[in-house]
Amino acid sequence: MRRGDLVLFGSVAAATVLFALLPPFWAFLASSAFISALLVSSVGVVYGRAGMVSLCQVTFAGIGGWVVGYLGVATAVPYPVALVLGALAAVPVGVVIGLPALRLRGVNLAVVTLGFAVAVSSVVFVQGFPGARTNDPVTRPGLVAGERGFMVFTAAVFLVVAAALLATKRTRLGAAWEAVRHSERATAALGLSVPFIKLSAFAVSAFVAGLAGGLLAAQLGFLNARNVEPVDSLVVFVIGVFVGAHHVGGALLGGVLGSFFPELLRRLSIPQDVGPILFAIGATHILAQGGRGLAEHLGRRRPAAGGDVVVLRPEGGAPTRHRADPGRDLVLRASGIEVRYGAVVALEDVDVEVAQGRILGLIGPNGAGKSTLVDVITGFHRPDAGSVTVGETVLDGLPAHRRARLGIRRTFQTERTVPALGAGDYLRLAAGGHLDRAEVVELLAFLDGPDPDTPVYAVDTGTRRRLEIMGCLAARPTFLLLDEPAAGLTEDESLRLADRLRQVPERFGVGLLVVEHDIDLVAAVCDELVVLDFGRVIGRGAPDEVLASDVVAEAYLGV
Amino acid sequence: MIDTAIASLTSGGAYALLGVGLVLTYRMTGVLNFAHAVVGAFGTYTAIVAFEAGVGYGAAMILGVAVAALLSGGIGVVMARWFAEEATIVRSTVTIAIFLGVLVVGFRLFGDTPRVVPALLPGVRLEVGTVTLTGSTLLSVGGVAVLAGAVAWFLAKTRTGIVLRAVSERPTTARLLGVPLRTLVVAVWAVSGAVAGAAVTIIAPTRTNDYASLAILILPALAAALLGGFQRVGATIVAGFGIALVELMGARIPAVARYRTVVPFLVILAALLWMQRKEVWDEAR
Repeated sequence: MRRGDLVLFGSVAAATVLFALLPPFWAFLASSAFISALLVSSVGVVYGRAGMVSLCQVTFAGIGGWVVGYLGVATAVPYPVALVLGALAAVPVGVVIGLPALRLRGVNLAVVTLGFAVAVSSVVFVQGFPGARTNDPVTRPGLVAGERGFMVFTAAVFLVVAAALLATKRTRLGAAWEAVRHSERATAALGLSVPFIKLSAFAVSAFVAGLAGGLLAAQLGFLNARNVEPVDSLVVFVIGVFVGAHHVGGALLGGVLGSFFPELLRRLSIPQDVGPILFAIGATHILAQGGRGLAEHLGRRRPAAGGDVVVLRPEGGAPTRHRADPGRDLVLRASGIEVRYGAVVALEDVDVEVAQGRILGLIGPNGAGKSTLVDVITGFHRPDAGSVTVGETVLDGLPAHRRARLGIRRTFQTERTVPALGAGDYLRLAAGGHLDRAEVVELLAFLDGPDPDTPVYAVDTGTRRRLEIMGCLAARPTFLLLDEPAAGLTEDESLRLADRLRQVPERFGVGLLVVEHDIDLVAAVCDELVVLDFGRVIGRGAPDEVLASDVVAEAYLGV
Repeated sequence: MIDTAIASLTSGGAYALLGVGLVLTYRMTGVLNFAHAVVGAFGTYTAIVAFEAGVGYGAAMILGVAVAALLSGGIGVVMARWFAEEATIVRSTVTIAIFLGVLVVGFRLFGDTPRVVPALLPGVRLEVGTVTLTGSTLLSVGGVAVLAGAVAWFLAKTRTGIVLRAVSERPTTARLLGVPLRTLVVAVWAVSGAVAGAAVTIIAPTRTNDYASLAILILPALAAALLGGFQRVGATIVAGFGIALVELMGARIPAVARYRTVVPFLVILAALLWMQRKEVWDEAR
């Protein structure tokens, strides 16, 4: 845990003690604040970290509260157990409504969750919560029966959840949430299943919201439909956007806005609905600034881009071990590939072969179909005809992330690293398995990367592009497809990259396919060239011969 | 069955009108506008309040539509001014904040109880065989026909329409060609706001019409637009009528009558399940 976070947790503990000394009314308000903070944290997971819009967080809370109420009336399950069961009950519900929305990109989750919130509210919640009609409130066990004891309990639950969510930031799953927020394509290219990652974020957020509901039910005795209206989900979401719910500090701020702020307005005789209006304005302002919430503005400043980048030089040392079995020289083969967009033929009967340990260059004018071919091989575009195989394995029909896991990695024309991660964490995420610090440092040194702890957003584009290649290499792939790796690099950087790419097959046991316009780089690096023009192969062979041929000159220069 | 179908036409037309507004703002300006129906409801309530205060019936209705157009145009200004370069998800998130803001402002101004809304064209009735069409129905269906025709004509035949299609496909290119992008974007928003105001006003006399319930008309509209893939105006219109028909058929079966609000949700789920047959990736490489 970082120092700032420790201070924050300490302050919460101190504030809890303080409120425990005040009259019970204040303890009640503080409990409300912690419950709201939990709800806002749930927005922080799904929106703040995974970048999806969910508009039914309060409905999940209602489900948690409903189950807690039901268990209280119908069984002898002790309250803390009921609380966890209630939160768990929200998870499968979240999965069921999330599944259809999450395989598609965009704001579908917002649409389906809004519909869900209204449907559950008008069908289930409106009929009353268990225990409400018979006046049978949720009983809180002795220690937490009073307002003060309960407030301490809500504080403890919040702190445990906040600490757990903070801990996930260091895990692979937490890094994957950041990745999916940034780019779904790049996430799949890292070998991660995009639907699974999104679903996990949504499920965790449903759990946290369910906990909040179970606490609310115990705080009030039982819920009624008025406590968990669809509009409350909107309010919680907008507060989450405003404060930066993925930060612990942001969640706490959100809790204060959800609980103490209305009380303040009440005491000032200002209508309470001024609150949501201010939150809406605040959230719009934050979004217009391109920011990730108030907490980010109040907390540590981001270091300026291009800050202290430590460049490590290679120190010789032992060559990297090969994962690929050197005895088995695999061949990646795309044969008879055809892609059509309506009447336009993007690729026609294209055959390409790369062997492990070799470098194939793919060149051709803009629009020749080079990147489309990379998309086809890596599973981002389904061809209309043709087949892709590695050795004996047929890849047709396999989704992109499965191909990445089979050892076929790629980069994109525009870099798609994950800005919020540290360089080392990015490599670990990309590696897909274990990667110790020595390996991280070695990789970073190989391609002139920054210090492992440098955040990705702080390094320049050229370094990010190389980081992306390092990430691919960290996964020990059998084949690596680079889409214009030298684009946007300076001439010096480009020369240096060429030098390093030359070493890649030997060092990492990889077969490389390089799409590139930089003819010098291609000539210096590749063992073989394939030339595409209007979707057809118009030349192939050794670089010298191909580059000297008339067909190629014609395709490129029109002479 | 025919009775049910006829009776669902008013709602269906309103859903279709709202859905088409969503499709247009999505296609033209890249925003999924969650504030669409609440803006319409705001216009409708302005009309009701004006009418109750003694403003003439027609004038009040026109005022309501104008207020919805202004409000929506204002959102368009915000979008064009601060969010022109942002991703769809960011801009849609902004409309969620605006949805909340307009909803709460409306609560304050209009309260949360249903009002008596005078039916539109009360004297008008059209008998076709055994079937009677009310003024509301005629307005709703006629409105859809006019809108669909106008949109098709506008996008295919007018210079501005062609420009707008260019804008939706290549905003930066359009701007480089000297297209006054902001003005056009704001105009699209204002028109879609006016249509929303009209649609909500048509439907308001026929159902529970407290302000929040009218704002929730966003759900059938979203469901219709989703079935149109946020692209096809025709499919959205058909879906709007279809959703209303299913709702009303449900409402006539006593056992499920109270669950009518679930219909849009179920349609959304079904549409999403159908759409995810094939994997779709985010922006081009």
